Amino acid sequence: MTSGRRRTVALVVCGLGWLAATGTASAHGGSLAGGGRESLTIPTWLFLSTGGAAVGASFLLASFVTDRTFVERIHGWGRPLSGGFEGILRLAGQLVGLGGLAAVFVVGFLGPTNARTNLAILLVWVGWWAGLAMTTYLVGNSWATLNPFKTLAQLLPTLDRPYPDRVGSWPAVGGLLVLVWLEVVSPLADQPRLLASVVAGYTVLTIAGALVFGPDDWFAHADPVERVFRYYGRFAPIGRDEDGLRLRLPGMDLSTPRLVDGPDEVAFVVALLWVTTYDGLVTTPAWRDLTTPIVDAGVPPHLLYPVALAVGFAGFLGVYRLAVRLSRDMSETYLAPAVLAQRFAPPLVAIAVGYHFAHYLGYFLVLAPSLAVALTSPFADPAVVPTIELPEWFGAIALASVIIGHLVAIWVAHAAAYDLFPARLQAIRSQYPFIAVMVFYTMTSLWVVSQPEVALPHL
Amino acid sequence: MTDTATQPVADTAATDTDEEAVYDVPADATAYRCSYCGRPFARESWLALHRGLAHPSELDDEEVEAFRAAHDEEEESLSTFRLQALGALVLIYFGFLMVYALV
Ligand SMILES: [Zn+2]
Repeated sequence: MTSGRRRTVALVVCGLGWLAATGTASAHGGSLAGGGRESLTIPTWLFLSTGGAAVGASFLLASFVTDRTFVERIHGWGRPLSGGFEGILRLAGQLVGLGGLAAVFVVGFLGPTNARTNLAILLVWVGWWAGLAMTTYLVGNSWATLNPFKTLAQLLPTLDRPYPDRVGSWPAVGGLLVLVWLEVVSPLADQPRLLASVVAGYTVLTIAGALVFGPDDWFAHADPVERVFRYYGRFAPIGRDEDGLRLRLPGMDLSTPRLVDGPDEVAFVVALLWVTTYDGLVTTPAWRDLTTPIVDAGVPPHLLYPVALAVGFAGFLGVYRLAVRLSRDMSETYLAPAVLAQRFAPPLVAIAVGYHFAHYLGYFLVLAPSLAVALTSPFADPAVVPTIELPEWFGAIALASVIIGHLVAIWVAHAAAYDLFPARLQAIRSQYPFIAVMVFYTMTSLWVVSQPEVALPHL
Repeated sequence: MTDTATQPVADTAATDTDEEAVYDVPADATAYRCSYCGRPFARESWLALHRGLAHPSELDDEEVEAFRAAHDEEEESLSTFRLQALGALVLIYFGFLMVYALV
């Protein structure tokens, strides 16, 4: 048993080495960092099929690990963290969150109008959406405490109307799509006044929702931002269970049953993945060429973008549901499709994490010095702001993190399948459709990052 | 378990224990049901494996024997699968090696 296990571990390590090697070989493929995408030094078809093959091969490698107790040990590993300091940390976190929100309003409305020096812009995009989101999946979900909207809502009285169960998390799904649509089509990262206004609108909406339904229900179901951070936090090594904070292996908590409950939560995870793709897709030349005749034919571009967002989301959801049905047929199980859909959705979070890290690590590092300067003097408007120049090889990190996200997803789905099915071959077969979709998704994403980035067309 | 504190799941949990929501057995299909928890399976050997994995301390001798037999049978089919997977990996690896050498 032990020698068999050692052999499997050795196999997995070799596989990872091979993947790392292919990762570097195609490192010229694209540099996600800083938004600049380079041209390929190897043919695109080869670059794409290498990525696709890496995902397929890692599935085959994972399928060699057939020792149930080994899989369970990896996912069950954990250490409790002492929680004596939690009360103080919590208060400090809430104060930092409120301070940040106040800074966004004050500096956003009154500070310099230059996006490169305005603290509100830098705080929201560099500090929060890049930096804090990265710490959420790399360390733990601190937004649960920092969230200034929740802190404010908890201070206010509530009407405590019962939250309608039928509605579930669908408002969060819609909210996520709307936020991404706003982020893509409007100059939210360029105009501090506009950003502060949008944050103000979001504040009013959120506080109103919490006033009516109570902060607990509102942030648990309807708020899209809270939910994004909660799912990202499930990837992190530090998590929370009934006994307080707990250390675990990164990503392994995604295989927990009931993490995703119901079709609305499945839709949210799929939406999280789709918006990552949409974000990059609309700045490719192919999108411009595809949509130019449509706009020329008289379709208003302001209609084009939200419709494309909705259609793409429906397409992603449709493909996922199809994969679930095929998985059910291949594994000949009598479990309902909904059970499989819910159990195999959380691994997708790992893929979203991989793409977020690939996209925002460089962005964060380049602009972090500007954020530091703006934090020390929020109302100054210096002519030159410091930024970091990223080295040539940085694109390799981005590509490696995309691949690692897929690897973790494959492993987590493998463990979930072992948990669901009594026969191990049945568990492996249940993954075929998902692996096919993942290979296709990897190739699409790699294609997007290998394309030159063009200005958002028609707007 | 991180979210149980902030997210009440009582209502969805109620539908989860509801047998109709969890299992979906076609009307004309044969189902081998677990006598301990009621979960249906398409094959008898899967039921035997399930009993051994999910209810190990409750089994009688006959069920233990059935689990052992199903487990041995499973090991055999797994080693066949491992060989096939290894073959596929080697094919992918050398296929790409050759393509990279040529391009
Ligand atoms: Zn049973």
